[in-house]
Amino acid sequence: MKCLLIASESAEVLFYWTDPEFELNIQEQYGASQEEGEKPPAFEDSINTLFAPIIISCSTMVDRLGDSYTSFSTENNHTYVLHQFEECLYIAVNGDREEGEEDLKRKIYVMKKMIEVLFGMVTLSSTLIRKELRPQDTEQRTNLWKYLQNLLETYSRLQEQDQSFLVEAVERLIHPTLCEQCIEFLERRLVQQINSSVERAGEEVLHAFILVHTKLLAFYSSRNASTLTSSDLLALIVMVQNMYPSNIDLEDTAPEVGALRVKEVEYHTLSECFGSLITVSGTPVFQFLDPDIQMAEDSLQTLEAPPPDPSNPSRVFLEVTLKEGCYPMMPHSMYCLPLWPGITLVLLTKIPNSNLAMSVYVFLEAFAKLEKRLSEGLEGSAARGQTSIQDLRNKLDKFIRALGTSDIQTSQLQSVWTEFKSRAFTRGGPGFSKDLVPWCRTMKSQLCGVYRQCFITENTVGGGNPQRLSPSLQDRALTMVQEKLMDWKDFLLVKSKRNITMVSYPEFPGLIHFIYVDRTAGQMIAPSLNITDRATSELGKGPLAHFIKGKVWGLVNTSRIYLQKGYSTVTLRDGDYFFCYFLWFENETGYKLEVKDLPILPNDSAPIGMLAWDYYRKLLRYYSKSHQGEVVKCYELLTVHLGVIPTEYILQHCSQLARKLWEPSRIPLL
Amino acid sequence: MAAMAEIIVPDSRRCINFFLYDGSKVKGEGDPTRAGICYFYPEETPLDKQELLCGQLAGVSRCVSELSSSPVRLLRLRRSKFAIRMKDNFLWALSCSVEIPDVSICDFLDQLINLFSFYNGPIRQSYQIYSQEDLAVRWTQYLSHLQGGATELHHIFSVLSTIDSTHIDPLLLLKAALILQACQRCPLVLAGCVLYCGRVVSTQMPPDLTVKVMVHEMETYKQEQRPNGLSSSSSSGSTPLSSPVTSTTVFLTTTELQYLRSAPVDRESRSKSTQSTPKESNRPRKSRLLSRTLSDTPTTDPLDPDPTHYVPLSFHYPSTPQSTIPDESLFSPSPSFHTPGPLSPSPIKVAPETSGHNLSNGKLYHEVEEGVTGSSYDHSYNSIDGGRDESGLAEGGRSMQNKDLRHINGQNGGSIVLSGERAGALWFSGQESPEPGSQRMGNVKVFKEKEGQGSKGLLQADTCDVPPYSPSPGENSTEAPLLPMSLYQHRVRGLVLALLVEPDFHSNTVATEEVYHSSLASLNGLEAHLRTTALGAPGPHGPYTFAHFDCIQNTLTTNLSGRPGGAQECSFVRATSLLHSHFSHTEALQEAIVRSAGAAVYGTRSVAQETYFLQKGGAVRNSGIPNHQDSAFSLPSKARHRLMKHGVNLL
Repeated sequence: MKCLLIASESAEVLFYWTDPEFELNIQEQYGASQEEGEKPPAFEDSINTLFAPIIISCSTMVDRLGDSYTSFSTENNHTYVLHQFEECLYIAVNGDREEGEEDLKRKIYVMKKMIEVLFGMVTLSSTLIRKELRPQDTEQRTNLWKYLQNLLETYSRLQEQDQSFLVEAVERLIHPTLCEQCIEFLERRLVQQINSSVERAGEEVLHAFILVHTKLLAFYSSRNASTLTSSDLLALIVMVQNMYPSNIDLEDTAPEVGALRVKEVEYHTLSECFGSLITVSGTPVFQFLDPDIQMAEDSLQTLEAPPPDPSNPSRVFLEVTLKEGCYPMMPHSMYCLPLWPGITLVLLTKIPNSNLAMSVYVFLEAFAKLEKRLSEGLEGSAARGQTSIQDLRNKLDKFIRALGTSDIQTSQLQSVWTEFKSRAFTRGGPGFSKDLVPWCRTMKSQLCGVYRQCFITENTVGGGNPQRLSPSLQDRALTMVQEKLMDWKDFLLVKSKRNITMVSYPEFPGLIHFIYVDRTAGQMIAPSLNITDRATSELGKGPLAHFIKGKVWGLVNTSRIYLQKGYSTVTLRDGDYFFCYFLWFENETGYKLEVKDLPILPNDSAPIGMLAWDYYRKLLRYYSKSHQGEVVKCYELLTVHLGVIPTEYILQHCSQLARKLWEPSRIPLL
Repeated sequence: MAAMAEIIVPDSRRCINFFLYDGSKVKGEGDPTRAGICYFYPEETPLDKQELLCGQLAGVSRCVSELSSSPVRLLRLRRSKFAIRMKDNFLWALSCSVEIPDVSICDFLDQLINLFSFYNGPIRQSYQIYSQEDLAVRWTQYLSHLQGGATELHHIFSVLSTIDSTHIDPLLLLKAALILQACQRCPLVLAGCVLYCGRVVSTQMPPDLTVKVMVHEMETYKQEQRPNGLSSSSSSGSTPLSSPVTSTTVFLTTTELQYLRSAPVDRESRSKSTQSTPKESNRPRKSRLLSRTLSDTPTTDPLDPDPTHYVPLSFHYPSTPQSTIPDESLFSPSPSFHTPGPLSPSPIKVAPETSGHNLSNGKLYHEVEEGVTGSSYDHSYNSIDGGRDESGLAEGGRSMQNKDLRHINGQNGGSIVLSGERAGALWFSGQESPEPGSQRMGNVKVFKEKEGQGSKGLLQADTCDVPPYSPSPGENSTEAPLLPMSLYQHRVRGLVLALLVEPDFHSNTVATEEVYHSSLASLNGLEAHLRTTALGAPGPHGPYTFAHFDCIQNTLTTNLSGRPGGAQECSFVRATSLLHSHFSHTEALQEAIVRSAGAAVYGTRSVAQETYFLQKGGAVRNSGIPNHQDSAFSLPSKARHRLMKHGVNLL
């Protein structure tokens, strides 16, 4: 019984997702209070009514006590986790003991991350994001919610099944030769060719990568591109998986299935939710003959409007770090080109007017700072910053003038800005005082509105063709990579299931499983854990493998609880097993750095991981403060041993393993 | 990262807020929330804040429990958390700092609710009988009683405070046990405990019941200064000296009562002593029995063939076989040790007067109570020691002590002392009892005298057959009916004998007088001895900090001082709290080592105990990379070695 709900402070439902059990539960509760023969209310209304008292109580507590609920649990072990982001309240519920409080909190943060990737800086304005998440048009709303629901389900599936989403680090296919060849191919052939083509419509490929299911085969970033953060890369993999889901049962048969046939099929892309905005046309893609899969696909299609055009990119908002600084949520276009089922080429492009987003961000930041200083009663320092304020004024004037030449509606922004200026800069006017705070907010909101016009509904603005690489250019790119990888296809699909196996580690008797993570690069290595009945790994199949998997998942969660409280080493004797967790720092040459007191986080802090909130990046920044001028790397190792092995051997194994695994992680992620 | 480095200062109080809210009083739109507030702690909280908390929490709890079809148990806020109980229209909520484990705060609330029902009966009824103000005084009193803990560890574990058994003459403990045992001869007496200055000396009750009884002891103690304080106590008029004796109506749950009634007490001899026998013939024997001095040992009627005497505590082996075995064979009516006996009530085996003289030199010899363990002990013994028979016990003991460090032992006297892990084995084997439906409940303690005094030691084994006793959490807040009983208390200065008795005990003059007179002299004697014993001497401090929690008896042994400690103490408490929480929800977890840059803490647990250990001293700088030479991984062996002298035995 699971549910995730986003509500505004006025208890309006902005998004919900429930599993069938939860839906049934709600309907039953509602059915009980219904008169005979009366039509049951819409599900959205029922859920709204039932949660409304909780939502309203939340805002009362914030207003009057300055504290807010973070979780509830009941005697039958139902768990509710609540978190407020600005004016949006997220509530996640679990009633089947499959998820704990931390899992639910993570889900909430991941949902928020996905919304940020999809809506960018619009999320910074409560009014706008409310409108964005709850479009007036019912059909549009249904489509958007359906898309978000699918995305959330995809994430949950990955988090439950995939070790890389368990530890939130990218897993690479371990095949150095092929990997290098592919990177070279992406660089010399693919990206160069696209970026020099006239059909690119002003876009520029910044990053190109090939995914085999969730694992990374090759990743190339062009010279002038900023690094793609682990958080963004993981979020993009979730989106790709949502578009081209890899079913675990399906994966096992995939290599043998020769009978692929081309069929018209819809995938879940963001464009669906803007169905009315985007011109669409169907293109053939591959699909399996397997009737089960067919059925699964069918069930997902029920609500979909006309099939979207896969050659339409998804708009994604990603962090960009340039010399001038770090800009979050910069617009990019993402093209997912399915090479074969399970293997996808992803291109991330810079769109022509993305500089505008940077300006908006700079202004937003300036107004946020000003607002903060004013509301803290630091008018003096706000005024002292006269030069920067003057600078802001000039820049914003210029910005608005420049916008005027484009198609973007700026009249509102202009009038608010004029009002702001008259209050702030007029001699004898109110000047910089607390009264300016609401005007700062209005300015931010207006700026977000401009950003929204530019990057979210851009396709309607021009009224013409959507901005994208031309379909033929995309086709050529697809064919090029297909030709390159044709002979490797089946190998790659098998390799993605058996990336590394415990058989390759005979020198560690009693070692059952391990996970090694390079947190600096955001990459992980772990023996494959196959839990499907069809696949047999060294762990056997069925119940035993499931049991071990449960232990590994539990260990990761446990290690996070201790890490949150500042413990970087944990060993546990649990039944017949012995678990170890280590976190340590090295410099670039592999020299082990001394352990430092790690921060102790409050219980309601964001979940530890890299996808939704990059704990490790902050940790590295914190640690680097005392190691200026040195590149600091952070590693983690988790092991599961048989409990009968003497502890000193287990610890010896761990240190040998850490040494052994250090090498492969050296492969550069260009 | 500045925000990340935020350090939480734990609230020194265990409880921040507590309230009882009666939703039935706030039904209509116009009803003010304050009408539903039965009690709010701290009482000086402004009424609008009280209303806010009660109204919001009650509302949100009702909404959530409707959605989930189950009452809310825990409600967390960013800065505090509330344990919640909901029953009928009542809602109890208790908040504490977020650092305290969930399991601890929930236990605390259950204890508090049960404590209230114990003295006041069902909640609805008590609010009908007594005024809200009177009951408020009681809630305050119960809260302050439960919050009184010496260290921060008391916020984590529900601890029953006992007198420091390592600093007290074991004979006194034995004596206390005997007083209780003697009182139980009256069939109207269910069980009792002996308390000294708010600490348990000896108890026959499960820990959660002992805690409840202790509150009243504190209350009456305070009343000596405040005679008009609220109390439902009434002096028992049946005893000639009424002032030190009080009695109170208390309410027991059926589970508790069932447990007490099923204690293997010798019913037959009881009835003989109090009912069928004329006072004249009975009294002298009994008073002699119960007013014995320390050099005496009690005797049993040797003709009594009933093997169902019950000695609640004290479990000891003959130290000198040549002197005691003949007596034993004479006085022991039950089969000897290795006869697989039923796990039925155990016989009292009391040393005869002849050997009693041996005790006058102050050395503790024996208080044989064979058969207490029956076959189960025998099994565990054999399994450990390769199947020795009874006659080899003493020698076995000696050889064991040489070979086996696990035994805390005397040197030459040959008395076998069962040490902790042996006792544990005893307990476990009791659990594995082949008898269906019977479970052995054991309270096992090891006491030892100071070294150099020869062979002294006493295993106090409180073992009896009971139906599985597991007080369900929040029992009183579910539908368990409460049965009125009576709490009899006899105070001799700091010492209190508290007995749970059947309600008609007080109307039975014979019974009351007999219990009073039979225990009076012993209590006086015991009090005199305890008074001269220095209590609460701090345990030996060393380059380490430890905490040992006995989950069966709810006792805590620690060398952590009550004062707010340094960084290492803080990290010890923090780690203990985390580990305890982890242990409480991970059944299979046995051992854990957690290390931060500054400190490493080792935690281990079994069914019967949890132990936490931190080695102080210069944190060896390390990189955190796996390294088997790391000092953190030597903690288990250090703990085993160091804690030996605290009577903590980690196998």
